[in-house]
Amino acid sequence: MTTQVASPRQQRDLAAQPSLWERVNKATVAMLGVTVALFIGFGVASPNFLTFGNMSNLATQVAITLIVAIAMTFVITTGQIDLSVGSTVAFVAAMTAELLQLGLDSSLVIVVGLLAGLFWGSVNGWLSAYQNIPPFIVTLAAMSIIRGFALLWTEGFSVPIDRRLFVAKIGEAEFLGFSALAWIALGTAVIGGILLSRMRFGRYVNGIGAQEESVRRAGVNTRRIKMITLMLTGLAAGAAGILTAARLGSGSANSAEGFELTVIAAVVLGGTNLFGGRGTIVGTVIGALITGMIANGLTLMGVSPFLTPIVTGLVLIAAIWINLRGRSLAQLVSHLTKRPT
Amino acid sequence: MSHESTDTWGGDRQGSVRQGSDGQSGDTLVTLEGITKSFGAVQSLRGVDLRLGPGEVLGLVGDNGAGKSTLMKVLSGAIRHDAGSITVGGKQVRFHSPADARAEHIGIVYQDLALCDTLDVASNLFLGREPRTGPFVDRAEMHRRAAEMLSTLHVRVRSTYQEIGELSGGQRQAVAIARAVSFQPKVLILDEPTAALAVAEVRQVLRMIREVAEQGVGVILITHRLQDLFEVCDRITVMYEGRSVDDAAIADLDIETLVAMITRSNTTTEEAA
Repeated sequence: MTTQVASPRQQRDLAAQPSLWERVNKATVAMLGVTVALFIGFGVASPNFLTFGNMSNLATQVAITLIVAIAMTFVITTGQIDLSVGSTVAFVAAMTAELLQLGLDSSLVIVVGLLAGLFWGSVNGWLSAYQNIPPFIVTLAAMSIIRGFALLWTEGFSVPIDRRLFVAKIGEAEFLGFSALAWIALGTAVIGGILLSRMRFGRYVNGIGAQEESVRRAGVNTRRIKMITLMLTGLAAGAAGILTAARLGSGSANSAEGFELTVIAAVVLGGTNLFGGRGTIVGTVIGALITGMIANGLTLMGVSPFLTPIVTGLVLIAAIWINLRGRSLAQLVSHLTKRPT
Repeated sequence: MSHESTDTWGGDRQGSVRQGSDGQSGDTLVTLEGITKSFGAVQSLRGVDLRLGPGEVLGLVGDNGAGKSTLMKVLSGAIRHDAGSITVGGKQVRFHSPADARAEHIGIVYQDLALCDTLDVASNLFLGREPRTGPFVDRAEMHRRAAEMLSTLHVRVRSTYQEIGELSGGQRQAVAIARAVSFQPKVLILDEPTAALAVAEVRQVLRMIREVAEQGVGVILITHRLQDLFEVCDRITVMYEGRSVDDAAIADLDIETLVAMITRSNTTTEEAA
């Protein structure tokens, strides 16, 4: 038995950062390959696909999904899920249009819209993290309730927004050839990436997804963190609602139907583990690009736009299938519907 | 029992203070006297006495349901006892939460280890107290300090960037112990640290326990593996049906007498003979 203490050099080796290849999420690398393949495939199939104009267009189409998907990455990494984001987008879009019609100032409407999203996120977060109702159930109910409020308010009508208002101008603004939406999404991704991989909050989000009890015993308020992640999706959905209204020039309680599926597909495609414990923002960006690219490419190829939801659904199934990594779907269902401890 | 020797808390934790079998040298870290605890109608602890000195490895043995784990939960603040006294470093204490016990420098490693599988070794060692520069986790510093901690305790992992899920059972146990040791406990409680480990890993963990004790930490080892007791312990305390029934230096025992003490089979007849 030796009792010599390791030399400083050995200690340095022990703490040496492994190569990039060892550190990256392998599922994300695989999806990066799929992205490249899709780029080449659509580029060959449609001459208009690989033009700057279409790339800029693609960025805009992906932007709203990506903003919410970044926040959803945190929720899924903690082992939770948020099904209510589509309804929150519709609620805030309708609210934005209604409030602008009432003559409220654009800046005030933006603040109120973000707060409304945050409010719904807090309700979801409080019920699931502090009242121990599975987030799958809470957000499924919220999905129905939130859209219900929007329908009740607008009576199902689409509410127009005056093109001269600041909110409407955001939807058309461009900078360096890319839309304001694309830039906002990029900013969200950067902030999300820093938060997840460079800050304590991100460590705890990953840890909670792996073994919540261990994180709790380390003295971290895990309920608060789980609630905050659901508040983040609420806030992001609020922002997405304002941007949807700005882009469409109207607010409708019927917008963003099935949006939660696109968002979850983007997150899961990117390599974030549906069972929690392993999240990747870069992966989510790639996942959002793939879902956006499929829709964009099919449209350019002249396929019926009504095919898009079918393809999105199939992609979601495929993504979950890959993501299960040897576990069964039944385990996933029981994971998502179990009572938090 | 005298508790005048407050100087044991003065910080001198150098050298191995291997206690003699008598244990009456006055250097006592922790004394438990007459501890009782009931859960409803079930009396789980019916009066337990226990004593631990610095640098001593105390084996806590007893059959299933003897109350070992309950007793350790009392000492680590996870549950409150009904009656009896806990004396730490010469002063009477009462723990209301694990934080109280931690403030008295009592650390515990539970059987489930409390690690996160998808986080790397360094993140697990510093979970909840990550070094920061501004709002950001200082990862370089965290890994450097983690490597230092692991080297001091001779924990063998390939890299501090390895995920816990990739480690063997023995390596995980070692990381969990290293994490507990990093809080600089004066008392360290280990609950079945060698259960379900391969033979070579058991040896590594036992060696680590010895090294921790040599730094002056009093270690309480709960285990079902009697051969481990003979390898690392200085003294054992035997529990039976919620009572502490025996306390003996390991040097005075062999495996048969120890088994007889645990099962309470024919000890009386042997003594009478």
